[in-house]
Formats: sequence, C-alpha cells, structure tokens
Amino acid sequence: MSAALRILHLFPTLLGLNGEGGNVDILRRRAEARGLAVEVVVHNGGAVAPGFDDADLVFIGSGPVSAEIIAQPLVLEVAERLRALAADGRPFLAIGAGFQLLGTTVTLESGEVLGGAAVFPVTTRHGGTRVVGDFVLDSPRVGPIVGFENRGSFVEVGPHGTLGRVVYGRGNTETPGYEGFWEDNLLGTHMHGPILANNPVLADSLLDLARLRRGLEYTIADPDELRAVDERARQARATIAANPLSE
Amino acid sequence: MSIRTTAAVLVGRAVRVAARLRGGGSAIPGAVALRIDPGFLERTIAAIPDGVVAVSGSNGKSTTTNMLAAIVRAHGLAVFTNPSGGNLPQGIASALLSEVSTSGRLKADIAVLEIDEGYGTRLAELLKPKTVLLLNIQIDQLNRYHEPDRVAAMLGRVAAASTDGLVLNREDNFLVDLDAQIPARPGRAVSFFGGLPELVLPAGHGVASADRFGEAAASPGSREAAVQVVALDGARATLAIAPVDDHRDGGANREPVEVVVKLPSRGLHYALDAAGAAAAARSVLGERFRPELVASALDALATVYGRGELLEVEGERIEIIMMKNPASLQLNLDSLESAPEQVFLAVDEGTPDPSWIYDIDFSALDHVDGITGSKAWQFAVRFGYLGIPVGSVDLDVRAALKAFLALPKPASGHKVMILNYEQMMDIRKILGFKELEGGGAS
Repeated sequence: MSAALRILHLFPTLLGLNGEGGNVDILRRRAEARGLAVEVVVHNGGAVAPGFDDADLVFIGSGPVSAEIIAQPLVLEVAERLRALAADGRPFLAIGAGFQLLGTTVTLESGEVLGGAAVFPVTTRHGGTRVVGDFVLDSPRVGPIVGFENRGSFVEVGPHGTLGRVVYGRGNTETPGYEGFWEDNLLGTHMHGPILANNPVLADSLLDLARLRRGLEYTIADPDELRAVDERARQARATIAANPLSE
Repeated sequence: MSIRTTAAVLVGRAVRVAARLRGGGSAIPGAVALRIDPGFLERTIAAIPDGVVAVSGSNGKSTTTNMLAAIVRAHGLAVFTNPSGGNLPQGIASALLSEVSTSGRLKADIAVLEIDEGYGTRLAELLKPKTVLLLNIQIDQLNRYHEPDRVAAMLGRVAAASTDGLVLNREDNFLVDLDAQIPARPGRAVSFFGGLPELVLPAGHGVASADRFGEAAASPGSREAAVQVVALDGARATLAIAPVDDHRDGGANREPVEVVVKLPSRGLHYALDAAGAAAAARSVLGERFRPELVASALDALATVYGRGELLEVEGERIEIIMMKNPASLQLNLDSLESAPEQVFLAVDEGTPDPSWIYDIDFSALDHVDGITGSKAWQFAVRFGYLGIPVGSVDLDVRAALKAFLALPKPASGHKVMILNYEQMMDIRKILGFKELEGGGAS
C-alpha cells in the first residue's frame, strides 16, 4: 500500500446536495498542507473501485429524500464492506441522509421502512416540523461546534455517545437535547453542509484516527496556511454563535 | 368598485409616499391595501382583458419579466408588471397602487408578472394566469425550500394553472418534461425554449440545472424549441424563432426567423432568459407576434439592477454581480472574461446557509480585496482552502465598502462587487442610489 491516506467518498453524485463534498476537500487539503499525500476513492454504486476495502477514512453526505431512496439499495450492496471497515476502526463521517442510510432503519413519512447498512446503531424517522437554522453544540470532547441544521426527521441513538449538547437548534429529538452520534471511530450528524469548514478540530480528529492506525506521519507540524484558515474558522464560529438565527 | 377599494388605494398610496420618503419597504403599501380590501389584488387583476402571464423559476425571473414586458409593449399592448423582486402578493399589490385609478381600475391590456416560486401555488390561485413561463430549477435557498424536488412540485402546480400557454426551458432537468408531469388541459399550447447543444454543453457549468433523481419522460435538450439560442457573442445573442402557425401548415416549409438581441450582460443564462421571453411573447401574442420587435424591444431595455448592472460611483464604474444562489453566482463567475482586478464581496443573513460555496468553482477569481457581511468569515475560510488571497475581512459593511472604494482606480476601468440580494439593496442605498420601485432605472 502506498504512503497516501485513502479517503473513500460514498455516492458524491446522489448525496452531495449542499456543498458536502467540501468536507472531503477540506480533509485532503489539511492532510496535504502537513505533508501527507491523500488519495480519494469515489464510489457511486456498481462495482467497487480498487482501494474501497483499504479506505482509511469514509465520508458520506446528504441529499434530498428522492436521492436517499435511490441510494438505499446501492448502500445495501456495500453494507457488509462498510461494516467491516467500521469494525476495523477506520473513521467514518456521515451527514444527513448518508448518516440515516448507514443506520439500521429509515422510516419515511409514508410509513415505508428502508433498511440501512447498520454501520451506526441508530434509527431515523422522517416527519415532524422541519428545523432550519444555525446550529450550535457543545461537545465534551472538543468544545463548541457550530454550523447549520436543516432537517425534517428524528434520530434515535439510544444510550450511545453524541456529537454534543444542543446550545441552539434542535438536534436528534423533538425536544432539543443532543445532536448526532459520536463514538470511537464513528461520527454521524445532521449538521449539514461542510461541517468541517467551521470546525477544523473535527477534521483533525478524523485524520489523526485514520493516519495513526496506519502509522502515517505529518512532515509539517503547524503550517502557516492552516493556522490562518483556522483563525478564520474561529471567527466564523464566533459570529454565528454570538447571534444564531433560525426560520 | 367599492368604497373599501377606494380606501385601500388611497391609504396604500399614502403609505407608499411615506415609505419612499423614508427610503424603504416597497411591499408595505401593498400589504396595507390588502388588509383594508383583501380582494383588491384578485379583482383588479381579473379585470385585465388579456389576462396574466406568470414568470417563475429559480433564477432570471426579474430579468426575463422585464424583457417579456418590453417585448409585449413593443407590440402595442399596455402592460402592467411588477418591479424586480416584488413577487409576493403584497409586492404585486404595491405595484398596482401606483397604476390604478381610485376606483381600482387598471389601464392595462395584459399583466406580465414575476411570481415567487415558494408562493407560486397561492399566487396562481389569485392571479389565474393564462400563460406560464418557467425558467429553471436550480439549487436555491435550501434553507427555505429544503430540496429542489419541492420547488419542482411547486412550479408544477403553477404550470397546471395555465389555461392557454405553457412555456418551458428544455435544457432544465426538471422542466424538460414538466408538461407530462401535470394533468393535460385542452386548449393549452405547450412550447419550449433552449439553446443549440454546441452552446449549452460546453458552457462552464452547463445551465446549472439542479440534479434530478428518478424517472423522467424526456432528457434535457430533447424537446423541439420554439425559440432557440443559436449564437452568442459577448452581450449579444442570436435567437432562431419558429413561425407561429407552425402546427397548422406543418411548419416544415417555413424557416425560423433569426434575430440578434442585446443581453443585460455576457452569459448563456441571459441568452436563455431572452429566448424564454421571446417564446412566451410568441405564445401569448399568437398571430400578432413579430420576431423583429423582440430585437428592438431588448435593444432599448435598461438592466434590472444587480443583474449585470454597472453603477457609476465617483467617476468609477462598479459592476454588480448578484449572488442570489449557487447557480446565479456560478453562471456570473463563468461569464467573467478575466479575473477581475478588484473584487469586493458582501454576504449577510439574507443567505442564512452559505454551505453551497463548497460547490462553487471560484477559479474565475485570483484574489478578493475585501469581504464583509455576517457570512464574511465563512467565505474567507473557503478562499483560504482554495489558496485565493483575501485582502481584508471586516464585518462593518460601511467601513469595508469605504476601504474598497478607496483602492486606486483599476486599469480595467471597473471594479467588481459580488453581493447577495440584501447587501445589494443596502449598498445601493449607502452609495446613494435610492430607487425602490420600477426595476431598472439607476
């Protein structure tokens, strides 16, 4: 295997509604800025590309319900491979519809139940009032997490760990409480769009997990370009958190 | 007409004068008039002899409405239209206030109205459009519409309301077969507009149509177009317009007429807007339609502000690029001839979730001089990852604008500002441009 970090991007065409491909771009640029080469493997369904099973980090984004329904059988085709990657400790970042499809079931508004890949021990139920607005969380692991929430569903995560407590917005449940799922190498959330743009600490956490498992080193410790962009992200978080808005 | 209507018109007009003096709120007078006489809009519109043409879609509504109104006027009809962005019931009612008599009568043969896609269903009920022109369905305001599929469903309901004519963009993933997705209606003529594949396919990002998932009855570009963009040269486009009674005589022996039209600015999207306006005029006017009047009408047209508009500020020209949504920003960036020498960007809460900037190809820019507005830092992060240098970020809009205007005069002769709608309105005001209504004069 090469000394490049391999990111598997699942269904970028179907599940990339709102700039979510930006997350993969950010992961790649952060690793490259520190001297670690990155290779991105894309899977849009059908035969798996070489490198699928050697992915060091897996990303899946969100999409409209129409795309989620089309993606579901394609996700099931690779479910076993994805469970194997997860069981082997490779980090996953799953957003919105992609997070739902990597859970165990998704109940649509019609009552129809879609089976998921069962990578995440969570279930999703579509419906309820749609929440759209700024989203501010407090994570016990990494502090404030800031982004945008746009969802019409509820996620049941049971007794498992979450990304954080909701400070502004709704989160997994009808009554605002906690958001997403974060346990070991698995991170799933409905903080959609490029969550990693505002929250580089999450990107670095995923990258560290991925590269340390492989024994891959950064050759540049603290590149100036990342320091500059991280200061901008801090300002972006502070601006949103100081005056969060919703529809 | 009732005393209630007269009261609605008089009070609405008084509010309008007050609002104009204060320099804000062009929809408020209409809202007041509708509160006094809720039937004011519906009744006044219903009395227009040739009825309503409704224009909707994600992008280009104001530009195309402006074009269509001009083309219809050039054919000698008196047109009532709503100004740029005044596309909700209260906005349309505000526009009516300035043109009706105190008894509520309107001197117009026909109404050409831009309607907001989110209010489309309600507006279609109120306005009962004879003809509907739909431009495109692009990724737009997901914070408001959640998914493009919902916009398609809303515009499908507007299309279904048309009685006489339905005019659709054949290059759009959702609109190309919209006629097959709605109940057919006897007497409704369906026609299409589009561009030659040689023009549409190589355009930087196509026509930026939203992805459609699932079954479709036709693929983009596959429908016969009544009006087609056949050539594009800077801000001029050549439209090939099919003869009107195409169907009756088989059409095979009659050639389309080619006319050269002036666009608000460079860009295939503007050419498609012009094709849409021409196709709608052709559908509405039937045998009265004269292709050569399309060219003369568009030649004489002022731009709708923020759409390829050049402002004159202290002897400098400032090109305004409005980033209403991803598609409009991408298409406008694609149509830049070279990286602008001086660029300023202002985006505020009017764009609640700018996540989509990660889907935008910013390679048309080689730097940005200044960024302002509450979303400025999010843009700065994106440019940071792209390696596009950013001069300064200042959330104070006035200070940032002042610093940008103070930059030495660029060699190219003009500065570029990329603004969201709300910032465009604010910055126009800061710069001393006060027009609130009328959509065009500056």
